[in-house]
Amino acid sequence: MDSGDASGYSAGVDDDYESLLSTTDAELLKRAWRNEKAAPEILQFEAALVQRSREQIQLMEETVEEFSKNGVDPLTVSLYQMDLDRTLFLLRSYLRTRLQKIENYAFHIQKTTDLWNRLSKQEQNFAERCVDDMEQHLDQSVLSKLPQGFKSHLKQSSLSLADDMVPEPQLDQYVICRSKRFLGAFQLDDSGEEPVNIEANDLYALPYKSIKPLVESGQIDLV
Amino acid sequence: MGSQSDPHAFAFSAAELEFLAEDETVEIVPNMRLEPLHLISGDFGPFRPQIATQVPLWLAVALKKRGKCTIRPPEWMSVEKLTQVLEAERDSEKFQSLPFHYVEISRLLFDHAREDIPDIYMVRSLIEDIKDVRFHKIGTGLEIISKEVTYALRLKNLSAMEANIVRPFVTQALQTFHKLNTSEAIPESGSIPSRQRQPVNQRDKRVLKGR
Amino acid sequence: MANYYDIDDILAEEELVPAVFLQTANEVGIFDCADETNKVEAGTQVEMPFWLAQELYVRQAVSIKVPPYFDTKAKTRNEIGADAAHVDLRSLCPYFYNFGCKIARLIGEKTIGPLLLVAFRTRYREVLIKAHTAASIVVPKNLTLLTKEETKLYEAGQSSTAAFKKWRMGGPRLQKASVLGRKRKPVE
Repeated sequence: MDSGDASGYSAGVDDDYESLLSTTDAELLKRAWRNEKAAPEILQFEAALVQRSREQIQLMEETVEEFSKNGVDPLTVSLYQMDLDRTLFLLRSYLRTRLQKIENYAFHIQKTTDLWNRLSKQEQNFAERCVDDMEQHLDQSVLSKLPQGFKSHLKQSSLSLADDMVPEPQLDQYVICRSKRFLGAFQLDDSGEEPVNIEANDLYALPYKSIKPLVESGQIDLV
Repeated sequence: MGSQSDPHAFAFSAAELEFLAEDETVEIVPNMRLEPLHLISGDFGPFRPQIATQVPLWLAVALKKRGKCTIRPPEWMSVEKLTQVLEAERDSEKFQSLPFHYVEISRLLFDHAREDIPDIYMVRSLIEDIKDVRFHKIGTGLEIISKEVTYALRLKNLSAMEANIVRPFVTQALQTFHKLNTSEAIPESGSIPSRQRQPVNQRDKRVLKGR
Repeated sequence: MANYYDIDDILAEEELVPAVFLQTANEVGIFDCADETNKVEAGTQVEMPFWLAQELYVRQAVSIKVPPYFDTKAKTRNEIGADAAHVDLRSLCPYFYNFGCKIARLIGEKTIGPLLLVAFRTRYREVLIKAHTAASIVVPKNLTLLTKEETKLYEAGQSSTAAFKKWRMGGPRLQKASVLGRKRKPVE
């Protein structure tokens, strides 16, 4: 399903010259964390950003170590350590949020190419293991004891046309979002509703589904 | 497997919002010397006695806890400004513009820098009052949703904490309105019984057999 | 399907609906105890859970009527129109909205949708917001009138407000996860 927008994008750096100049990795990581926490489905893994953040963390760890060795005053060391801890928290929480989504929707993610491609290599390994474990569990506890035709962990019966037992995230769920800039009249996809004017820096509650492309292109942030 | 809609699954905790608020900048006046800090979150300092400088709140609080600085409360946290906001807040249906993290910032400063805030009792009670008026308005604002069913809700000037508190309620309510509205408008597939005794549109039904 | 494991969705389909058999059916005497033959004659009206009725309906084995509280002529409808906030929807049907949507969709009953909307709109304003913004911990008495869906909404509002108050009152900034500092029980 919706494989239409599977193209690789990296969040929010397209035409956003201004914010590109002023946005630090710390800010970008915070934004990725917020979006990931607030979006019902798993978003594109921020590979480059995570890589850079990891490097920064490592560098900072070395710095802190060096400082303590060289007898730099404890205040400075502790401030560097705090900054490091904050970044570590963001990165861990970001990765954990994703793992949680993978756990919840492992089957769905595995069979949806678009979603599968959003995962990092490690996440794909994790997802595979989740799927294997879940399959094995369902099989051992229930499915193997059912009659032929009811043994699938995806389909209710062999008559089912689709995989109708696979939990999916609810994309029509409402989210709260904010745009840094005026986006103008915005048409929500379904029904003949009046378009919504999206002003800069205002909060809106909208169905995730309707702003999904804007989240993906970095034009709108979830909060 | 998580298919049930957990109302908290997508909200932030108050502590997480506080974490975000700690990155807001605030002015401090150090009483010591310290070389510039080159942190992941940015470069700050140098710190010189009696020379004001801008730092993130978490850094300010860390220095303050160690008695290394005083914190200058932000401009909006003065009795004068807050009195104006409170009045405007009471006079108008609209929400006044306050910092996105005003709830968290004020709590952090009350907790860690009380002696740096002039007229702290007054400031604190003004902020409490503003918060109460705004929460009351959120209640009446929510009523409006029910009068004119909308698909999009604009929450102008709502702060991070306020939005987070109403999030579970508002998002679920909007979704219910949406669902009820569309169930009325769309003629559903099941409305015309299929001729053949072929089993239906299995797409979004839990089929009998499978249970 | 997104909500296969959703217990509320399952329970909503337990709701009984009046159905009339269009064909004589054998081996289903359970629906019509008056008879020894263990079969149900065409034209017999019985009550059955929605999940079953739905399957028989699409196979044209039964016709379905709406339950009395959705009936256009019944008094419940007038009560909802007059004072929706005080109607005890929960005892009528704990999944009033969810089930209402399901049955309306199945049999194409156009009058249910507007009824649900009116009910929710009024009750949302009268019951839910007040409950949500009520400062006290006292459970408002009209809570017992709420359907399952409304109760969930109410609780969503309550718990986020409570979480905020807890944060504001102070207490530990960082909470230890409850598993830390506690010995894990050895698995047998």
